[in-house]
Amino acid sequence: MKKGSKVPLRIALYGMDDRACKTMEMYLKGPCQGIAVVTGETDADIDMIDADNVRAKEILETRRASTSNRPIILLSLQNLQIENTFFIKKPVNVAQITNVLDRIKATTPSLKVEPSHNIKTTSESPIKVETVVQPTPEKPQKVAMEVYANKPAGVKHIDNLERQKTAKHQSAMQLNEGGFTAFLGTVSTIDFDDPTHWANAHFDPKQYFLGYVLAAIKTAKQQTRVLQLNSIWKSLIVFPNTQEIWLDADDKQLRSFAGMALGAGSSSNMTLTAADTAITVNRAMDKFQDMNAFVWKVAIWTSKGRFPVGIDINQPIFLKRWPNFTRLVITPDAMRIAALLVQSPRTATEVISLLNTKPQYVFVFLSACHTLGLLGQKEPQIVETVATEQTAQITKPKQGLLSKILSKLRGA
Amino acid sequence: MSQYKIIFTGPVGAGKTTAINSISDVAPIKTDAAASDMTKNRKASTTVAMDYGVMNLAGGEKIHLYGTPGQERFDFMWDILTVGGIGLILLLDNTRADPFQDMRFFLDSFGQFIADTSVAIGVTQTDLSSKPTIDDYHGQLQLLGLKPPVFAVDAREKNDVSLLVQALLYSLDPGLTG
Repeated sequence: MKKGSKVPLRIALYGMDDRACKTMEMYLKGPCQGIAVVTGETDADIDMIDADNVRAKEILETRRASTSNRPIILLSLQNLQIENTFFIKKPVNVAQITNVLDRIKATTPSLKVEPSHNIKTTSESPIKVETVVQPTPEKPQKVAMEVYANKPAGVKHIDNLERQKTAKHQSAMQLNEGGFTAFLGTVSTIDFDDPTHWANAHFDPKQYFLGYVLAAIKTAKQQTRVLQLNSIWKSLIVFPNTQEIWLDADDKQLRSFAGMALGAGSSSNMTLTAADTAITVNRAMDKFQDMNAFVWKVAIWTSKGRFPVGIDINQPIFLKRWPNFTRLVITPDAMRIAALLVQSPRTATEVISLLNTKPQYVFVFLSACHTLGLLGQKEPQIVETVATEQTAQITKPKQGLLSKILSKLRGA
Repeated sequence: MSQYKIIFTGPVGAGKTTAINSISDVAPIKTDAAASDMTKNRKASTTVAMDYGVMNLAGGEKIHLYGTPGQERFDFMWDILTVGGIGLILLLDNTRADPFQDMRFFLDSFGQFIADTSVAIGVTQTDLSSKPTIDDYHGQLQLLGLKPPVFAVDAREKNDVSLLVQALLYSLDPGLTG
């Protein structure tokens, strides 16, 4: 071999499964540009141990006993300070590996000479390896390997009861345009195609079952106890600690009642009582629903494309966070609207314009989010600047790769 | 041809392989060797570095789906894996002892890539462990100054995985139409 040519170091791997070994092999060959290669135990210049392996301590002792003068590299999430080893903190990167291997070469005489010409066995020239600590901004915390290696896997207790509540964990129903009208129903007094009608397209939740449900939930949470909402219809049970609703009714029945404006005297028919816990524990598991998902769909059925009082469609609003869409009824364009309002505040009318979507879609989405407390409002003077800056970015729907992916995912 | 990819990451057992399988147009390349003994059975033909799937798009384009190695957070190749990446899907296992710690680790590890693109978080196994709740995850993310999509996901359900990836795309551009 010509003098000066780079001969890769040979590293034996320990404490890693086949996939990790293969990954390291490819990593050294690729990003690390062949600075080292993975070999077997016999031919290696360096031992590399995954110190997060549960047997790491045993492996280290074995390696030291077998090849006491061979440099050892430890990989770990923790900052390790163990004598006569080199340390690389995870996540590993090219710079770290290169740096450590260079230091090993500098401090290990046998590795400075091309191995093919003059290989000194470790038994002939014992080499002391200096302790090297990976530089870190803070002082490394000394962690005994056995303490970390024996850290329990930490799997929590599995809640088998939770698994029986199948209605809570069903995947979302996504409504297309045709399904939206059928699912929601319509409001004949409002022409949504006429923007002058939009300001009047509101409803008061207190005049509907939704209002009583929200009040029941609020009271149950305040009192931290299970409460039963009794009405002219079916009884509904609120479980505040587990965030669940129990109701023996299908969606068709619930939708009909939710969309019904209750008369002025309806409050006398609505009572809130403590639930009999002895009975509640024997309730049918499949009647349990996630509280947020339940309230969300009741809000949608109540809205029918309108927005709740309290929202000014000409004042900027924003989403505090994304709704958990996989467990909610997804109205048309809901995810686009969510993405826009999470990014920055917009007025409802701006959202309609920017996304070129129907006002009913925006209003029903706002109704559902408002019910879950996901909406916030911003001062107009602040928002105007942001809206102006960002409008140009999305005034035109983006076609191309992302749209193709979207079409694929939506089954188009 | 440009290599576009979506990267799936998360701790071991979170469901990366399953999620890729749910939306891949081809059977994902298996990555787990049958033998567990690391000193034997190192057959190059049966061991691959990471999970892989593909989505075939109209026009012949392909989107590569890569699942990062999650074994004990053995995290190689973060710095090269993200090249050409459209965004990140982070799957978290709700039955693990400290899923918030998992979340912080992966968000930090992919911090620059997330800043350049986007991330969507899927929380798996919520039917086995209802806590922490999705709201709890958002609370933790708020401390980090982040507001990504966070969904409860059954990695076996194509609809769940599809919605999560859709959310990732919309967070890149709300104006997308599909």
